[in-house]
Amino acid sequence: MKNRANGLGLVLMAPAVLLLIAFFLLPATLTGIFAFTNMSTSTGISGGAYVVTETVLRKLEATDLDPKLRAGLGEKSYTVNAETLAAATSADIEPGFLAEIEDRLSGKTYAASSAFEDDLKSLPSRPRRIRDLKLATEPFERSVINTRYPDRGQFEAALQTFLPAATKADLETIATASYTGWTWTRDNFIDLFTRADTLRLVANTVFYVCATLAFNVFVGLFLAIAVFYLPSRAGGVFNVLWLLPRITPVVLYAIMWKWFTWENGFLYVAAEDLGLPAFNYMKGSVPTAWATVILVNGFVGASFGMILFSGALRAIPIQQLWSSEVDGANRWQQVTRIILPQMRWPILFVTSYQTLSLLSSYELIWLTTNGGPGSTTTVWSLEAFHTALNNYTGNLQYGLGAAMALILVIVGLALSILYLRLFRFNELVSKPKIEF
Amino acid sequence: MSILKTTKTALLGSVLAMGFASGALAEDYTITVWSGGTGETGSYRWEAIQMAADILEREYAVTGQDVSITVEHQEWSGWDDFKQAVTLAAEAGNAPNIIVSGHEDIGPWSRSGLLRPVEDYVDFDAWPLSQIYPNLIDIASYDGVVWGLPQDAEARPFFFSRAHLAEIGYSQEEIDALPQRVQDGEYTLYDMLDDAKAMQDKGVVAERRGFMPRVNNGTDYWQFYVSFGGDMVDPETGKLVLDRQALTDMYQFFVDAADMGVVSSTHLGTTWDDWHQAVSSDQVGIWHGGTWHKAEWEAKWGLEDFFGEIQYSLIPAGNERGRANTISHPLVYLLSNTGTDDDAVIASELITIATEPRIAALHAVKSGKVAIGSEEAKVPVFANDRWSSIATTELLPYATAVPNDIDFGVVWKAMYAGLESSWTGTSSVEDAVNTVESEVTGQLGDAIIVR
Amino acid sequence: MTKNHTVWPVICILALFSAPLAIMYLFLVVDTFSNSAPGSFLPHEFTLQHWRFLWNPDVTGDVWKPTLNTFLFTISMVAIVLGVSTTAGYAISRLNLPFRRFFLSSLMVMHAFPTVTLLIGVFLVLQYAGLYNTLIGVILVKASLMLPLGIWIMKGFYDSVPWEIEMAGVQDGASRFTVWWRLILPQVKPGLMALSIFVFIDGWSEYLLPRILAPAAQIEVLSVYLEAVSDPDSVTYNFNLFKSVGLFYTLPVIVLFVLFQKPLMNIFSGGTKG
Repeated sequence: MKNRANGLGLVLMAPAVLLLIAFFLLPATLTGIFAFTNMSTSTGISGGAYVVTETVLRKLEATDLDPKLRAGLGEKSYTVNAETLAAATSADIEPGFLAEIEDRLSGKTYAASSAFEDDLKSLPSRPRRIRDLKLATEPFERSVINTRYPDRGQFEAALQTFLPAATKADLETIATASYTGWTWTRDNFIDLFTRADTLRLVANTVFYVCATLAFNVFVGLFLAIAVFYLPSRAGGVFNVLWLLPRITPVVLYAIMWKWFTWENGFLYVAAEDLGLPAFNYMKGSVPTAWATVILVNGFVGASFGMILFSGALRAIPIQQLWSSEVDGANRWQQVTRIILPQMRWPILFVTSYQTLSLLSSYELIWLTTNGGPGSTTTVWSLEAFHTALNNYTGNLQYGLGAAMALILVIVGLALSILYLRLFRFNELVSKPKIEF
Repeated sequence: MSILKTTKTALLGSVLAMGFASGALAEDYTITVWSGGTGETGSYRWEAIQMAADILEREYAVTGQDVSITVEHQEWSGWDDFKQAVTLAAEAGNAPNIIVSGHEDIGPWSRSGLLRPVEDYVDFDAWPLSQIYPNLIDIASYDGVVWGLPQDAEARPFFFSRAHLAEIGYSQEEIDALPQRVQDGEYTLYDMLDDAKAMQDKGVVAERRGFMPRVNNGTDYWQFYVSFGGDMVDPETGKLVLDRQALTDMYQFFVDAADMGVVSSTHLGTTWDDWHQAVSSDQVGIWHGGTWHKAEWEAKWGLEDFFGEIQYSLIPAGNERGRANTISHPLVYLLSNTGTDDDAVIASELITIATEPRIAALHAVKSGKVAIGSEEAKVPVFANDRWSSIATTELLPYATAVPNDIDFGVVWKAMYAGLESSWTGTSSVEDAVNTVESEVTGQLGDAIIVR
Repeated sequence: MTKNHTVWPVICILALFSAPLAIMYLFLVVDTFSNSAPGSFLPHEFTLQHWRFLWNPDVTGDVWKPTLNTFLFTISMVAIVLGVSTTAGYAISRLNLPFRRFFLSSLMVMHAFPTVTLLIGVFLVLQYAGLYNTLIGVILVKASLMLPLGIWIMKGFYDSVPWEIEMAGVQDGASRFTVWWRLILPQVKPGLMALSIFVFIDGWSEYLLPRILAPAAQIEVLSVYLEAVSDPDSVTYNFNLFKSVGLFYTLPVIVLFVLFQKPLMNIFSGGTKG
């Protein structure tokens, strides 16, 4: 019986566990792994290849590789001889065409593909498609430069036929320089800890989280208490109004704020009418940009505090308030002496809960100021996103971005464990009531 | 996104099985095109491919092959999202067959194996590629390999409001002679700031509307670096270069401009919309943009008499070290490694046809770009378009391009971050330059020369 | 309250705080049906022209395809989250699982976890599974990211079902599965209801994941469509038009919210009260 129940439990849990492993655990692990690589657009994610290019040759100048070998690496030629003709025969080139090549071009060597192609074009049975002509040149090519070798074995084999003089150590040097994929490195973290920008990012993030939290908690508290004292109909209107930002899709919400703060927007026109400085408040100055960012996020977050605090208020025994009124306390004294002391836990809860979501949420900032003006309102998570996935030059640095994300993940984990400790987790995980 | 192509052998088998004499084989290709930075006037970036597909089908038909080509396209108005989508799709193995992007992407994308070298598929000695300007072919090359075909090219001029220049005492002759003075280095960026200030002081333009540079990151800002004598690449070693002096002078120039009040210190990150509105309705004294902006101002913003209202020139020199210049940021057609070799052949034939003079001219005239080849400049619709011809003959010869180096993105990102932080006053010019230096040397080591 | 204190000062302060919201939402509706003279916000004429996009694809592109995509995306997501949360919530609440404690604590951590930081990793997983740039991929990701909350909420609802029901069932000789299916599930119907509405609203509004993990045009959802439409580089700015598209997009969410305000409240507070 017990085993059966266990079995059922596992069956019922399986889909959840699978999904959570695939889309939580695995990505988190991958993030941790990426953080220690130099992955980027140019290295690709799924491994690399070996290719010698002019850039690689330049890189090799700084090594102790024999200059003769270096020069050999850069050589490129096309030769028509018995060996290459044999290679061409097995390469599926049209026999008639091949016969003409053997007949007319045997013994010739070309330094550039264009010269060879010109001669091929002059042959009567040349292929009509230019691509076929180009493919026909390949078996005759004697060079490694600009050829992509998918793995080390093939690359070294090619090098050995082409540069017989190269030693094992030489091959190692060349292969290291020619590898296009990613390598393991700790540089991302070193980079992050030494960059001047990091400090500013951290400061921005701390400021953003603290200011938005303060707004959320104070406004949430004020709303809850004010609505508590209002007749229920008026209170209900405000309740609904403040919940709207929570359920409004982010994109529309961002557009509404643009309309509110941009040139020729609501505030702009109002300020013009009043003779105040009118400009694009969202992007036009650092203080107004910060104010916008904090308000945009704060208006969404305040309702969370409002709901929780309202619940906590309703839990306060009403007799306490009545008796205080009998003692002649006014509203203000009621709030400060009775209500606020009992709000300690809810406030702590809201604070810790929202710290986490604010630390990691960049969606609204991205859609409003996008970290501008300059990078004055760029926070850590937004910068990580830009670094890894979305920037103008398009060279996405997965490794560095993952390192930034990993730091955020660690901070997030530490905070969430801390707050589980705070809120007496053991009560939440007490054993199920029925056990067989 | 899938490339549906029936292989020849399978088809052959079925054809024989059905008892046909071997004749025309029907082949179906689906070619996808993604283009970035494509607004309303840039539609020929993919329409050209559609036209090419029609022509190519007919060519195959007259040579007795039944080939049908379906072109699917998707365009992005910005660059960030577009490059992200291309990179991620390439990682996932379903990149589009043809990518229309800036030439600077060739470096990283070719290294990661996302691209096929165009030179393995097309014949540069044959028409229409033989008439393409050689410097554009160079820009589409990296590491001695031609990776892409030029799709368009432009120049990025300075613009002056003729009316406002006249209002601060310029005669018509002086206004007409201004481009030459800029080119000779007589009229510098600081002279320009003085004029912008004079316009504001006279009240002919509003505060911070004297000079309105580009509102966001772009190739344009490298022009100012060149104006102050900066090199992006060392001609001898081919390595990237960071010129501290030029960077300092360039940052200082924007800080000075903000201090003078001719431009807002938080100008970066404002909206294109507001910028277009202001410059096209004569609310701005001096600004800089691209040759293609003229097309936008006329199409969307109601500008009527461009030549009567606006004077244009190269970007003025900043000081004796620098020179007047403009940077061209050609877009290129790139072939991705997606699909079979036959798909790539069809794609390469399509982009070759798309560079033919008549088709390229449609794009150039519609979007205010310059010609990519000598024959295109003779196509009537282009030759009769005053602006296109001017841009091609007066501006393009002075144009440089940003390097195709893989690591240039790092330098670019750092340069722009430093520009933002010094311009907004979040850090001093000196600190910003130091940050850029430590950033690029930290990431690139000795792959970059710092002067 | 007891004493009839004057409420006006409180209402005034509240109104002042809420003014930006009130203005934004008021004009969101008003502007879609009216035009106002430049430089003023008072509408001076009634018009339906901002709603042309519904039947004229030339205005902002076809709006119905993205609507259908959004619907598919949201409904599938609701189905997955609901199914998986219902089963897992029951197991966690009622059955004596191995590692139960560990699972519960990791659930709490995941619930509080900064999920967006995992985006790069998520992309990799999708890519290896061949689900990048597909609607199914985004649905799975979004549903999984909502699971911790869903399971947590369902556990809360199961916890509040009196266990005598279960005992009675088991003593009648029914299997645990039958008991759950026949007796317990009907008891948590309100929970399923509330959760499905909540997940629907959340899914309908999702922007980041579809935009990054499924950029293909044919699977575009409304949030991405709206963002593209209101891109300042793409069209001459017309806020009234964006608002119409936005209002059209938001309507289902608003309607659901108004209808199911009460049960949603519980979930909005983070499912903390169970």
